[in-house]
Amino acid sequence: MEPLFIEPTEFTPKVFFDPENSLFEISGFSRPENVIGFYKPILKWLEEYNDMVLSQNINFKKSILTLNLKMTYFNSASSKFLLDVMLEFMKFMSKGNKIEVNWYYEEGDDEILESGEEIADMLGYNFNFISYLP
Amino acid sequence: MSELKVAKQENILAHYGPLSYEEIGFLLNRMSAFVDKQGMSITIKKKVYSAMVESLENIYKHQDVISSNSDYQPRFSLFLDDKEFSLFASNSLLSQKINPLKEKLEKVNSLNKEGLKDLYKLTILSGSVSQKGGAGLGIINIAKVSENKINFKFENVNNEFSYFTINVAISHNSAI
Repeated sequence: MEPLFIEPTEFTPKVFFDPENSLFEISGFSRPENVIGFYKPILKWLEEYNDMVLSQNINFKKSILTLNLKMTYFNSASSKFLLDVMLEFMKFMSKGNKIEVNWYYEEGDDEILESGEEIADMLGYNFNFISYLP
Repeated sequence: MSELKVAKQENILAHYGPLSYEEIGFLLNRMSAFVDKQGMSITIKKKVYSAMVESLENIYKHQDVISSNSDYQPRFSLFLDDKEFSLFASNSLLSQKINPLKEKLEKVNSLNKEGLKDLYKLTILSGSVSQKGGAGLGIINIAKVSENKINFKFENVNNEFSYFTINVAISHNSAI
C-alpha cells in the first residue's frame, strides 16, 4: 500500500503514514476550515490499510506499529477527528499487532500535555509522553 | 444570567465587521505576538489562543446574518489588566436558538474542572459532533481553558434575531 503524505499548511498538520516501516505521524497545527474534508481521507486511508493489508497479514512486517503525534495546537473540531484517527489505529491491535502511541509536547506546554492525557484516558490506552525543547 | 463585566483594561485586540477565516488567523497571530512580547508562559498563550479560536469559530460557523440591518456585525475584543485577559465575542443569531444555547452555557457554568472534562469526554464520544464540528465542544473548551464562568447575554434585535455576547476571563498571574 502506498504511503500517505500530506504537506502541512497554515491551518493543517503534516501527515505521513509509512506502512512499509509501520510508522504513522501527524504533526503541527490543526484548525482546518473544512475539518471533515481534511480528516475523512486520512480515516479512509487507515480503514483501507486495516482491511487490505493487516487483514491479509502478508505484505508488511508487523512487530510494532508506531503513531507519533506532535501537535502544537488543535481546535475542538479537530480533537474529535484526531480521536477517530486514534480509534482506527487501536483497531490494529485486534489483528495481532502491537502498537505504541508517542505524544510529543513542547516543554512547559501544559495544554497539549493535558489534551494528550485526556485522549489517552478516553481510549483507555497508555501513551508515551515525550517533551521536547522549543 | 450573569452580568457582563465593564472592562477598564488595556484593549489589545478589537474587531468589528464580517469575519473571514483569514481574519481569525490574523487576530490569533496578533495575540500570539503580543503575549510573546510580554514574556508570558506558553500555557497562558495556549489558553488565550484556544478561547479565541473557539469563540471566533463559533461566530464564523454559527452566526445568522441579519441582511436587513448592518448594525449587528460580529464583534471581538481582547483586554488585559494586571490579573487577567478578558475576551468578548458577539454575533447575531436567530432568537429561536437562544434557549438551547442558554441551556448549554448554564450547564457548562454549573460544572467544575472535573465535571467539564467528563462532559467533554461524553460529548466527543457520543458521536453527536455535527458537520460543522459543533455539538458544544467549543463552549466546553472555552470553559476548560478559562477556569472561570462564561458570562453571556442576549440582546433583542427584532422579532426574529438577537445579538449574543460572551465574555470570559483567563488569569495570567498564577501560571507565569
